[in-house]
Amino acid sequence: MENRFTGLNAPETPEFRQKFKVVFSVVLIVFSLLLIRLWYLQVIKATELRERSESNSVRFRKIIPMRGVITDRNGVVIADNLPSFDVVYMPGTTEDNEQLVSRLQILYARKKMQIDLSSQYSKKARPFMPVKLERNVGMEKVAIVEANSVTLPGIYVDVSPMRLYPQGEITASLLGYTGEVDKDDLESGDSEYTLGDIAGKHGVEKVLDSYLRGRNGAELVEVNVHEKEIQNLGRVEPQPGSNVVMTIDSDVQKAAWLGLNGKAGSAIALDPRDGAILAMVSTPSFDPHLFNMGITAEHWRDLLQNPLAPMTNKVVSGQYPPGSTYKLIIAAAGLEEGIITPHKQFFCGGGFTMGNRTFRCWKKGGHGHVSLHRALVESCDVYFYNVGKLLGPDKIAKYARLFGLGQPTGIAFPNEKTGIVPSQQWKLARMKQPWLPGETISIAIGQGYNLLTPLQLANAYAAFANGGIIWQPYYLQRIESFDGKKLKEFKPVKIGNLTLKKETFDVLSKALWGVVNEEGGTGRNAMVLNANVCGKTGTSQVIGLPQDARARLAKRIRDMHKDHALFVCYAPQKNPEIAIAVIVENAGGGGAVAAPIARQMLEAYFKKQAQEKKPVAIAQSAAVRKNQ
Amino acid sequence: MLFLKYDKRNYRDFDWALLAIVLSICAIGIINIYSAGHSYGGAGEQSPFYIKQLLWILLGLIAMIVAFLIDYRFLARGAYVIFGITIALLLLVHLFGYTMHGSQRWISIGGLVIQPSELMKIAIILVLARYFEDHKSAKPYKLRQLFIPALIVLLPFVLILKQPDLGTALVILLISASVIFFIGVNWKSLLIAFSGVLLSVPIVWHFLKDYQKERLIIFFNPERDPLGAGYHIIQSMIAIGSGGLLGKGFLSGSQTQLKFLPEQQTDFVFSVFAEEWGFIGGFILLILFMSLILWAFKIALHARDLLGTIIAFGIASLLSWQVCINIGMVLGVLPVVGIPLPFLSYGGSAMVSLMAGIGLLMNINARRFIMHK
Repeated sequence: MENRFTGLNAPETPEFRQKFKVVFSVVLIVFSLLLIRLWYLQVIKATELRERSESNSVRFRKIIPMRGVITDRNGVVIADNLPSFDVVYMPGTTEDNEQLVSRLQILYARKKMQIDLSSQYSKKARPFMPVKLERNVGMEKVAIVEANSVTLPGIYVDVSPMRLYPQGEITASLLGYTGEVDKDDLESGDSEYTLGDIAGKHGVEKVLDSYLRGRNGAELVEVNVHEKEIQNLGRVEPQPGSNVVMTIDSDVQKAAWLGLNGKAGSAIALDPRDGAILAMVSTPSFDPHLFNMGITAEHWRDLLQNPLAPMTNKVVSGQYPPGSTYKLIIAAAGLEEGIITPHKQFFCGGGFTMGNRTFRCWKKGGHGHVSLHRALVESCDVYFYNVGKLLGPDKIAKYARLFGLGQPTGIAFPNEKTGIVPSQQWKLARMKQPWLPGETISIAIGQGYNLLTPLQLANAYAAFANGGIIWQPYYLQRIESFDGKKLKEFKPVKIGNLTLKKETFDVLSKALWGVVNEEGGTGRNAMVLNANVCGKTGTSQVIGLPQDARARLAKRIRDMHKDHALFVCYAPQKNPEIAIAVIVENAGGGGAVAAPIARQMLEAYFKKQAQEKKPVAIAQSAAVRKNQ
Repeated sequence: MLFLKYDKRNYRDFDWALLAIVLSICAIGIINIYSAGHSYGGAGEQSPFYIKQLLWILLGLIAMIVAFLIDYRFLARGAYVIFGITIALLLLVHLFGYTMHGSQRWISIGGLVIQPSELMKIAIILVLARYFEDHKSAKPYKLRQLFIPALIVLLPFVLILKQPDLGTALVILLISASVIFFIGVNWKSLLIAFSGVLLSVPIVWHFLKDYQKERLIIFFNPERDPLGAGYHIIQSMIAIGSGGLLGKGFLSGSQTQLKFLPEQQTDFVFSVFAEEWGFIGGFILLILFMSLILWAFKIALHARDLLGTIIAFGIASLLSWQVCINIGMVLGVLPVVGIPLPFLSYGGSAMVSLMAGIGLLMNINARRFIMHK
């Protein structure tokens, strides 16, 4: 065996062995050093380190950064921060926390104050995990806690930023709210979240959370038993979140809110020139500040169980039958397909019979002989029953899609709904039943299976208004870092073309102008002087009652079964700057209920335009006078 | 026939001692991960880490058997292919990888999440062994002879550094440097290479982004980041020290159970162990690791040929660097780098790679008397 390498190409030469001797020695030395270090820590320093582990007086304190400020297009702040003084409790291993809390309660009682425990507090606190007992306390409570720190070991006052929404409920369904991260956030794969962080929970706060939240700071402090800092071992400053500038115009937003006046519904205004959203209101809304303190279970349940769905943004997530606002699409389809001409007339005697069923016009006596213009202005149902019948469901669906309906706009907002554009194929797939001819008649006036979101409706009319470009609605103008550097600027995104003949645009836009401005128009409540508003009313049935029975039973129909009121418009007729859709749930007729809300929004918008462009406006009106 | 050649001596010379050491360390690992994950109990929806680790050990044993059975000379023939596949995986990580804790390291292949940088540790050893086997030199290697090996090492190094995973990249570099030093480098060449690196530092620095610079500064000077690395080190030292001579007992380490310790299942497993089992436990574990490493070097020394020596030496140095850096880090004598402790830290790809490495050692050991050709 001694000669086992003889004849092999083994590398076991003397130098080779020498190298290994060195390697072996190095390994032995390094391990000895590690063992010495281990001995030093575990035997020599053991007592000291054991004490430190028992008191564990080194605290890692997270510093929550200031969240980015959100402003509207005019620089009006719509989401801000306030410092909140919080009473915090650091559970130790020995002290009984319930005892401490009751002691604090007694101290408060002396000054006739009560403890207002946050939802975060629970009796089983984890040692050394700070718990916020109370958020946003007044100076009196701060004074009590500071003055009694000796009898309240582990309780101290901490300052952290708290979200403030100057417009409260008005912007709540758009902006959303913030709150402490929950299990879903932590497991969302976004590794930046840690327990106790503040995250955007809904709306813009959620979508832009990664920009708004900033970066946590932290400090390492050594504390005494009263949680008072003895020594600061290091600090990393938090980085404030980035500021967001939105395309929202607070005045239009407010006008929409006031117009809706507590009724359930929604209003959306956008700029037809690029899709920028000017206002987005959904009612009823909620108080976003409730979540700052950690919302109570009852409050939360109330919000979720409210049948009027305050936590839903109805502009993007509400789906409604479009009612007569759909007539623009039917009319465009008829013209494009050559089924009607602007002069083609149909006779409306107040009803339309198909098979053994009669479909009524909303006007009992009928409209007589009507052409396209009057049919739209006065919203004659029978005219569109005729056009719809000639078109058939699939042609109607084709044009509805062309207007961008039945597909999400892709707006950067959670839970956008798609709506429904029914066709024969759709019904077969969805209900396993063939299409019935009568259903075509219903969808011709926007009833039946049709569903759309207010956002889709506004965007469809906006595309019609601007001459055929479908823009993706957006609300984000730009993002700036806290020190003012521009991080991101939004460019409008074109998502489709509404290709119609010029004549179609001209004829229909005149009719829409007539709806608002002509005698007998159903939308006259939306008229704004000099604004040349074009629009269309809609009243969509919630349950399928025959038109006359509906009138008879009007008083008895329960509120939740009343019609939805719709109004959609744009202005001015030439070079439009604003498109609006308003839907009020179970409120009655579109012209009576929804159109006035749109007018208030238009007025708010044009009042500001007038102020800004005063010199131009005066020059223009002078020019007009000269021409006259 | 090199492949699966049957020889009685394969069996007779099977390295039972090596297997015993490795399995002992793995057993300690399982017990330890059980304890580290113990207080997570509440979550409960995922299968606990110790169960997963157990499955990885079983998979690792299969890898070990495979690596043992196939003659390493045959394996070395495929070294470039293995290396190429691993590089491809690293590229895939850059394209489709998972990001966790700000680093993109993992990819999912058929539902199995793997970390290709761990596989690279073995692949780089094989490819270097193959290269130097093909380019034997009686004299120490000169700089230009080392140009190609340097490229081979830099490619995965840069890919892993970009993930970013400084720890693993560093291990790749250290293993390769150890192997190259071991086979011998001309002193002059060494001097030139070293000064070249020194000179290029300011140039590279110029091209680094601010956050990368910051990271490097913290790496070399953890005092600059007292909250991240500093906090971890303080808590780790408190955990180890408070364990004392005999430890606080299984499942009773307060630092561990109260979650003061960071990365308990991965980088800081040793602290968990030392807190609960004290100096006695730590001593036994260190001795086991030292025996493993010395054993591996012994296999390198007695290997039949240069190829076997280099492979065994590479694996031995892989184990040495990881064990020493990791334990040095948790004991507070080395800067904090994310380098896991072999067989003890939780991690599937690392476990399988290391087991395959052990299989290779057994392979080289068992075939040390067999003549070829």
